[in-house]
Amino acid sequence: MIGTGVKKGTAELAILSVLEDGPLHGYELSRRIEAQTKGSLSFSLAALYPMLYRMEQRRWIRGAWETSSNGRRRRCYRLTSHGKKKLQPLRAEWSELFSALRDLTKASNG
Amino acid sequence: MADWARIVRERLAGLALPDDDAAQVFDELASHLEEDYQSLLGEGCSEEDAVRRSLGGVGDWKVLQRKIESSRKKERMMNKRVTQFWFPAFLTLSLSMVLLAVFEIFGPKPWVTPMPGGPRLRMTPLAVVYISWLIFLPFIGALGAYLSNRAGGRSRTVFSSIVFPVFPYVAFFVIGLPLALILDDQVAHNITIPAFFVGLSAWVIFPAMALLAGGWPVQYFASRRLGATQVSGS
Repeated sequence: MIGTGVKKGTAELAILSVLEDGPLHGYELSRRIEAQTKGSLSFSLAALYPMLYRMEQRRWIRGAWETSSNGRRRRCYRLTSHGKKKLQPLRAEWSELFSALRDLTKASNG
Repeated sequence: MADWARIVRERLAGLALPDDDAAQVFDELASHLEEDYQSLLGEGCSEEDAVRRSLGGVGDWKVLQRKIESSRKKERMMNKRVTQFWFPAFLTLSLSMVLLAVFEIFGPKPWVTPMPGGPRLRMTPLAVVYISWLIFLPFIGALGAYLSNRAGGRSRTVFSSIVFPVFPYVAFFVIGLPLALILDDQVAHNITIPAFFVGLSAWVIFPAMALLAGGWPVQYFASRRLGATQVSGS
C-alpha cells in the first residue's frame, strides 16, 4: 500500500493523466483512478474536490456543467492546454524519482 | 431515499463562499454522493448501509469545508486583483497610448520647448508637451477610478489604476534614461539636469496630475457615497 505523503504528491499526476483520455466528472474520475491503479490510489470526496478546485484555479483543468442522457447535471472536468503542458514534466519527474528508488532498492538488496 | 442536496447544504451550512459559488459546490458534492449511493445500492447494499458508507467517504465535514474555502478563496482573490487593478490599469494605459498616437498622427501639434539659447527646432528639444493629450487625460483617469471603484478597489488600488498610464514613462526616466546615459556617451552630451526635469514634468508629473484631476473626484464621491451607504446600512 502506498503511503499518504506519496499519494498526495502523485494525486495531481493521477488526475491529469486520467483526464488526458477525455473529460470526466468528479465521481467517475475517482473511480477511474482507483480502477487503473488497482486500488493503490483512491480519493475520498474530501481530498478530491479541493484538489480539483485548486487545479482549476491553476488552469490545468476546466470544469463545466453538463447534463447526461439520464437528465442528471454533473460538472465535467477537461484537461486544458496548460494542463497538457504541465503533465509532461510531471511525468518525467515522477518517472525519474521511481527509477532512482528502484536503483536504490536494487543496490540495497545486492 | 436520501436527499443528498439537503444533506450537503446542512453539513456545509457555514461555507464562507458567495451564494452562487456555494450553490455550485453543494450541487457538485450532492451529485457525487448520489452516484456513490446508487453504485452501492447496485452492489447489493441496503439503503441504510449505502447512506452510511457514502457519508463515511466524506470523513470530517469541517475539514472538507475548510479545504474548499481555502481552494476557492485564492481563486476569488486573483479575480478581485484583476477586476480592481489590472483591468482598469491596462484599460487606462491602452486608451492613453491610443489617444497619444491619434494626436501624434492627426494633430494638433505639440508644444515644443527648445534648448535654452539654441535656435528653435534646430537642436534636440528640451521637451515635447502634447497639451491636447493632457486635456483628455482626466477623462481616462475618471474611467479608471470608476472601474476600480465599482469592482470594490480600496483607495490605494484605485489611485494606482488611475496613474498606471504614466508608469512606463517613470520606468523610462528611472531605468531607461540612466542606462542610456551609461551605455551611450552620445546621449550624455545632449542630456542636462534641467532637460531631465522638464522631460519628467512633461511625461510623468503633468500626465499624472491630469489623470488624477479626473480620477480623484470620482474616487472622492464614490468613497463618500460608500461611507453614506455603510452608515445607513448599519
